[in-house]
Amino acid sequence: MNYFKKHMFDKYSLKKDDFGKLPQENEPETNEAEINEDELFGFAEFDEKKSEVIAAPRYSYWKSVWKTFISSKFTVAVAIFVVLVVSFSFIYPAFSDYDPMVAPHINDVDWKYLAPSWQHIFGTDNIGNEVFDVVWEGARNSLIVSLTATAINMIVGIVIGAIWGFSKKMDKWMIEIYNIISNIPFLLLAMILAYVLRNKFSHLGEFGAFIPLIITMTITDWIFVAYFIRTQVMIIRDREYNLASKCLGTSTWTMITKNILPYLVSVIMTYISRQVPALISYEVFLSYMGLGLGQQYASLGRTISQYTTYMNGYPHLFWIPVSILAIISISLYIVGQKLADAADPRTHR
Amino acid sequence: MSTTNNEREVILSVRHVDVAFDVGGKKKFKAVSDANFDIYRGETFALVGESGSGKTTLGRAVIRINPCTAGEILFNGERISGKISKQQDRNVIRNIQMIFQDPAASLNERATIEYCISEGLYNFHLYKDNEDRIAKVDKALEDVGLLPEHKSRYPHEFSGGQRQRVGIARAMIMEPQFIIADEPISALDVSIRAQVLNLMNKLKKEKNLTYLFIAHDLSVVRFIADRIAVIHLGKIVEIAESEDLFKYPVHPYTISLLSAVPMPDPIIEKNRDSIVYNKEEDDPNAAPREMREIRPGHFVYANDEDMVAFEKRLEKLESYHAE
Repeated sequence: MNYFKKHMFDKYSLKKDDFGKLPQENEPETNEAEINEDELFGFAEFDEKKSEVIAAPRYSYWKSVWKTFISSKFTVAVAIFVVLVVSFSFIYPAFSDYDPMVAPHINDVDWKYLAPSWQHIFGTDNIGNEVFDVVWEGARNSLIVSLTATAINMIVGIVIGAIWGFSKKMDKWMIEIYNIISNIPFLLLAMILAYVLRNKFSHLGEFGAFIPLIITMTITDWIFVAYFIRTQVMIIRDREYNLASKCLGTSTWTMITKNILPYLVSVIMTYISRQVPALISYEVFLSYMGLGLGQQYASLGRTISQYTTYMNGYPHLFWIPVSILAIISISLYIVGQKLADAADPRTHR
Repeated sequence: MSTTNNEREVILSVRHVDVAFDVGGKKKFKAVSDANFDIYRGETFALVGESGSGKTTLGRAVIRINPCTAGEILFNGERISGKISKQQDRNVIRNIQMIFQDPAASLNERATIEYCISEGLYNFHLYKDNEDRIAKVDKALEDVGLLPEHKSRYPHEFSGGQRQRVGIARAMIMEPQFIIADEPISALDVSIRAQVLNLMNKLKKEKNLTYLFIAHDLSVVRFIADRIAVIHLGKIVEIAESEDLFKYPVHPYTISLLSAVPMPDPIIEKNRDSIVYNKEEDDPNAAPREMREIRPGHFVYANDEDMVAFEKRLEKLESYHAE
C-alpha cells in the first residue's frame, strides 16, 4: 500500500487532492501506512474547471523556431560554416596588407602564376598577388554590398508592401508604377546609374565607393519585394480574425504589425534567403560588366572577370573565386531556407 | 412596426436596408434588399435562412463591415450606417460587438489569448494600468468558464468550444449593449453547442444584452430566440415571435424551412415530407409585396393576393391548435 502510494505520487506527481479524500498535509508521515482502501479509492469531487486545463507544455513561438532549427545536425553544421566563412571574410582582410592598387611583386617573374601550395594557399595571379588575399577582400566587399542592399530592399519593401496590400486606393496607382518599373531594362538603368553616380560619393571614404552600387541594386528592386509582400498581405487581409480586429477598433497599422506580419515571418525569411545570394550574383554580374566597384576595390565579380582570361592556362585563378562565390551563396541560401522552415509553425511539434 | 410593442424600447432599427456588391462593371448583386425590422432591448432576435440568403451580410452591415447601399440603420435612435463621425464610429464599436462563426479562423494564431482578449481594451484604453487590464482579462476568462492560466496560451492549443468562448470573452470585455452572433455554434461539435448556447444565455441575463442571432438551424433558434425573422434570397419573408412562427407559419418558404427540421423520432422522420419551396413558381407579374401584419406581432412579406391565401392558412392552423 505504502509502495503503491509512493509510486503514484512520485511517478505521476499527482497532488493529494486529486484523490478526493486523502489525509491532510500536516498529518505525520507515519500515518500513511494506515490509510484504508476506502479513503484511497474514494470518489473524486467533480470539478468542471479541471476539464479546461491544458496539459500540453507551454508554447512559445521563437523558442519553437530555435528548437526546430537546431534539431537537424546538417543545418547546424551549415550554419556554423556560414558564420565562420562570413566572419573570416570580414576579419582576414583587416590583417592582410593587400591593396588592389599596389602590386609589390609585379616585376618578380618567380611570383607570378604560382599554383596553390602551402606557401601560397590559393596560388598567385598574373601580377604576383596572393589569390587568397584577393578573394577574401573581394568576398568581404561583395558581402557588404549585397547584405546592405538586401536590408534596404527588405525594409522598404515590407513597409510599402504591407500598406500597399491594405489600401485599395494605393493599389490602383502602385500597380501601374510596378508595371512601369518592371518593364525598364535593368542593364540600361544600371549603366546610366553607374555613369551618373560615379565618384559622387568618393568623399565618404571606403564605404562611399559602395554607395553607387548599392543604389543600383536597390533603386528598383524594392518594388518586387513590396509586390510580393502586397500579394501575401492580400491573401490574409480578409481572414475572419482580421475582421474581428476591425470590429474591435484596431488601427490598420496595429493590424499590420500584430496580425499580418507575424504570419509572414516564414515567407519573408524564404525571400531573404533567396535575396542575399541573388544580390551577390547581381554584384558579380555588374562588376563583370564593368559597372560595379571602381578599380581600387576588389570584389568577387571583378576578380572573376579579371581572371576569366586565364581559365585555360591557369584554371585555379578562375575556379577558386568562383567556388568561393558558390560556397558562400549556397550555404547562405541553405541556412535561410532552414530558418524559414523553422519559422513556419506547421513544422513545430 | 413597433405598434404592438410600444412598451418596449427599440435598441436597433433596420430601415429599408439594401446591401449590394459590385460584380464587375456596372452590375450589382443585391445580397439584401429592403430589410426592415426593429430589435428591442433585452431580446434575442434570430435571423434564419439558408446559405447565401444574406443573413451574414445583414449582420455585417449592422457592424459596419459591409456598407449599406440604401436605407439606414439606427442604434439607440442614432444613425450608424453610411458616413458617420469618428466619435460615433468608436461608439458603435464600443456598444456593438460580434461573435464569429468559425472559432478556428477568428482568433489571431500568432498572439496569446491575453492579447486576443485585451485587443479591444488596448484600442480604447479601457484600463487604468496593466494590473487592471490583467484583472479584466482574468474576469472575462472566468465569465466564459476558462481559467486565468490560459492567458499565456496560443489559440491553436484550445479546442473549438474553448476558442469560441475566447471569442465570446473578447466581445464581452468591451461591455457592449448589443451582440451580433454570426452562426456562433455551427462550426462547433454537437456535444459542446449546448454549452456555448447556455453560456450566451447566462451572459445575456447577467449583462442585460441584446442579441442578433444569425443561424440556419431552426431547432437552435427555437431554443434561444424570442423573435425570429426568416430571410430568403435577401428578402425577409416572415417575422414573428418564436413560438408563433413555429405554430402559425404562413409564408410558403417558412413552411418549407420548418418541414426540413429533423425530428428525433423514427416514425415521424419516416413519414416526414419535405416541402420544397420554389420561388420560380411565383408569378413575375404579381403585385408588389411588402411586410404586412397578419397577427399581432406577426409580419409576412405579401401582397393582397397572398394575404387571402395566408389568412386562410392561418385560420386552418388556428383551428388546428385550438383543438
